Amino acid sequence: MLGEKFKKNYKSIVEKFEKKESALISLLYEIQKENNYISDGDISELSSLIDMPYSRIKSVLTFYTMFNQKKTGKYHIQVCRNLSCSMSGARNIINFIKENLKINEHEVSDDGLFSYTTVECLGACGSSPVVMINDTYYENMDEKKLRELIDKLRKE
Amino acid sequence: MPKINVDGKDLIANDGESILNVCERNGIYIPRYCYHPSLSVAGNCRMCLVEIEKMPKLQTACSTIASEGMVVKTDSEKVRKARKDVLEFLLINHPLDCSICDQVGECFLQDYYFTYGLRKSRFKLENKNQKQKRREVGEYLVLDNERCILCTRCVRFSNEVTKTDELFVNSRGDRAFIDISPEKGVTNKYSLNIADICPVGAFTSKDFRFKQRVYMLQTTKSICTLCATGCKINIWHNNNTIYRITPEPNIYTNTWMCDDGRMNYKIVNSSERLTHSMINGTEYNKRQTVKQVFNKLSKAMDDKLRIAVVLSNYLSIEDNISLIYLAKNVLKTPYIFSIESNQQKIEDGILINSDKSPNSNGIKLLVKKYGIKDISEYAEYDIVIGFYEDIKNLRISPVKTILFSYKKSSYPCLIALKTYFETDGSFINWQGYLRKTAKVVNSPENTFDLHHFVMEVSHLFAVYPDFNFKGIIKDLKYKEEGQ
Amino acid sequence: MKIILEKELFDIKTYITNGGYNAIKKALTMTPQSVIDEVKKSNLRGRGGAGFPTGLKWSFIPKDKSQKYVVCNSDESEPGTFKDREIIHKNPHSIIEGMIIAGYAIGATKGYIYIRGEFVREARIIEKTIYEAKESGYLGKNILNSGFDFDITVVRGAGAYICGEETALLESIEGKQGKPRIKPPFPATKGLFSSPTVINNVETLAAVPYIMIMGGEKYSRIGKEKSSGTKLFSVSGPVNKPGVYEIELGLSFKDFLENYLMGMKDGVKLKAVIVGGSSVPVITADEAMKVNLDYESLSQAGTMLGSGGMIIIGDDQCMVEALYILARFYHHESCGQCTPCREGTGWIYKLLSEILSGKCKEKDIDLLYEIAENMMGRTICPLADALSMPVMSFVKKFRNEFDKHIEGSCEICQR
Repeated sequence: MLGEKFKKNYKSIVEKFEKKESALISLLYEIQKENNYISDGDISELSSLIDMPYSRIKSVLTFYTMFNQKKTGKYHIQVCRNLSCSMSGARNIINFIKENLKINEHEVSDDGLFSYTTVECLGACGSSPVVMINDTYYENMDEKKLRELIDKLRKE
Repeated sequence: MPKINVDGKDLIANDGESILNVCERNGIYIPRYCYHPSLSVAGNCRMCLVEIEKMPKLQTACSTIASEGMVVKTDSEKVRKARKDVLEFLLINHPLDCSICDQVGECFLQDYYFTYGLRKSRFKLENKNQKQKRREVGEYLVLDNERCILCTRCVRFSNEVTKTDELFVNSRGDRAFIDISPEKGVTNKYSLNIADICPVGAFTSKDFRFKQRVYMLQTTKSICTLCATGCKINIWHNNNTIYRITPEPNIYTNTWMCDDGRMNYKIVNSSERLTHSMINGTEYNKRQTVKQVFNKLSKAMDDKLRIAVVLSNYLSIEDNISLIYLAKNVLKTPYIFSIESNQQKIEDGILINSDKSPNSNGIKLLVKKYGIKDISEYAEYDIVIGFYEDIKNLRISPVKTILFSYKKSSYPCLIALKTYFETDGSFINWQGYLRKTAKVVNSPENTFDLHHFVMEVSHLFAVYPDFNFKGIIKDLKYKEEGQ
Repeated sequence: MKIILEKELFDIKTYITNGGYNAIKKALTMTPQSVIDEVKKSNLRGRGGAGFPTGLKWSFIPKDKSQKYVVCNSDESEPGTFKDREIIHKNPHSIIEGMIIAGYAIGATKGYIYIRGEFVREARIIEKTIYEAKESGYLGKNILNSGFDFDITVVRGAGAYICGEETALLESIEGKQGKPRIKPPFPATKGLFSSPTVINNVETLAAVPYIMIMGGEKYSRIGKEKSSGTKLFSVSGPVNKPGVYEIELGLSFKDFLENYLMGMKDGVKLKAVIVGGSSVPVITADEAMKVNLDYESLSQAGTMLGSGGMIIIGDDQCMVEALYILARFYHHESCGQCTPCREGTGWIYKLLSEILSGKCKEKDIDLLYEIAENMMGRTICPLADALSMPVMSFVKKFRNEFDKHIEGSCEICQR
């Protein structure tokens, strides 16, 4: 279900663009910000709201990987698995997450706080390994830093 | 009009024409999946790659516009290798469904494999991508995502032809699959065209599923009689059974056809079908029926009863001519009427006509020729002779009616007719084209051609008609294709 | 020498203090055609990866009065590439000024910056930069009283490498899946919303103000004849000083490695170099030591300058595993439109995972090479080639490592 915040904001988002189609990605981000992920119901509602076919919205949603189609943890950890990060120890980071948070890719931890996926190149290879948690980049990561970070996030 | 050279032959292209189209017009076949003459160009299957001099890479013939001086090779080593390779790529994830797939016999993958491929599989079975199979899509379609080669003809059809946007590509890469907008689920009235255009067995017809191998079927050209558009169709049949109907694309009337028109063949074997004429609840064979009706009419004439004959926009010109004859020459009644049809126009922007009868224009011409009036109000007639579909809508007491019909109903006097799958008849569609249905299957033994019934009844009245249908029709003002 | 990254110019004040927005002032006194000529004179080539001459690209735009667009490609997703991010952090106004000049040159009043979705912080920086430029009168209506209007909208991506391809990027701005278009027609004739459009990489646009100030001719004398100017190289891998470097084109790789990157890390020997982003053919250590970092030298060596995203590979990295990681990337990123790429990337990825785990035979390595060959040159966009080239070069130059995996005797992987 589309949230109250979205219903208040969506018009101003659409107005920022010359053509309303260009607003689609931004609108989907906005729904995700409030709802954590984007459901079929959200798409149907959005379709009526902005008069755009369901099929169009769903095809965009499923094409782009930054849209969550199912629930993620409060902190969604994205670990780069591409070449430079792999060469500098991404595998250790992934193993650390699996063992300590006890989750596999796309799973949410029992306390609902964490989920993780591996992602492709984040464009910060010189400071690899790179991890993205929600909207923030964490560069030059290692297990120690990650442990500290996770502890910090847990306390928030 | 650029001049190009294809495989050594000089050809003249129309302005803006693609290489594929120029070749097609000149009898050079270029294999393709995603290209369809009535849809936008997608250029994604890569099967139509051809060699063009001075271009280092092969180009897709469907999307490359012919330009002056182009030298094209459609059958060089490079092209043949490319086709082989594209086929191999298409086949690696394609399921081995042939033995249970309805597309066999009209499958682009099979056909091209035998012509251009013939390579042994080098891909391990266990690595094949698995996707959803046997998805019901709308009333008439079954979708198998594994068989799909993502040519997107179906998506383009639903966006461009029916403009209903129900189909789309979900996800990307080799995880991509055709998906359906859930609320709509392909409920547009042209869904079965998608099964036609799908080059493989991804979209198939639920009605036709598992019924017959395509290569066992004959096709006979005919026309649809469900509305005034009168689409040109192909009827596929074998052993006196109709299995399916597909459109016969033409530039005059239709590229596609609607789903209802396709399903119309079901009337032939429907449980509602009148296999015998029914008079007052009793079934009669042909000879008996003629006798019964003759008796009734003969008595009516003796009693000087008012007999009306109503022409039908649902019946052929031949049948209507014989009704006019019955009224004028046999019953000698002045009460001959026609019924006004709905205004003729395409009501959905595609094919379906707001006039649901196939022959209004034919009857209009007959009305003009014979000076027949419109039945504007049901007046007091003692007997009304007509076609069930027309009379059932008029407020006439059933006991007064003698009706021709395909279907059973509660009306007391029903004369069983052959359907236009079982006999030929001439019709004039909304555009004015004269076309004929074709007999494809045998009708039940005790059903009539209407004009034959009229002839038999006439004989009992000692009137001997000599129907010159061809002659009469020739004089009518209809359009010819190509005029 | 450094041009774009000479100083850190975070905000408009420092930018202007260091000569910022003088270029647009100068351009507005010239005719649009003269601006294009200046860029042509500079021999600037597209810095995103394709290396197409920028001035020539601008000159393809029709000279009529129709609606036109300038699009900045900030999708930076090529593995190993992180240079545009550096420009956004250190000199964002150069990008904006470059866009305004481009708009003036081709007659566009609207610009779009398409920035990859993951660059959330960078998108905010760009928004702030646009705001600053607007507040100071460099964007909006009647810029500097010239009668020229120009406005920029930021559109975010959402995780698709393919949207770095020009026409896929346009599709994405138009609210669709990022599937590349058939060309022709090219964006210069039919681009964004079917209007003539110029699409340039961040770095390309950032160079434009400097070209206007110093003059195209002077810029063309920096670097090499056919590789003029400076280029940002983003370097990762087991070197002592990875990071972003702006160097004059033509510098030798040897010099670059020893004096800028400060050599390989302790205990690691140079084995291979991917010089310009994962889509270019790999070169061996020996080959690398003989090349110069410019378009011609690298092209002669059988590879490409590409995006300048340099990945250094040491002898502690198995080449088969490296290729597997890249194949996994392209398989993940293929848009799925055309047959060879959609199926070929999947096939190569699956085959490589089997070669990696030793489940294959000798002939499978030859098959791998053949699949890559069969994908090449037959697709709508070069993503298929972008996988084919690494596959073919890795197999050709490091065949012994592949053979070892067949035998199950790769020392690196067993560690």
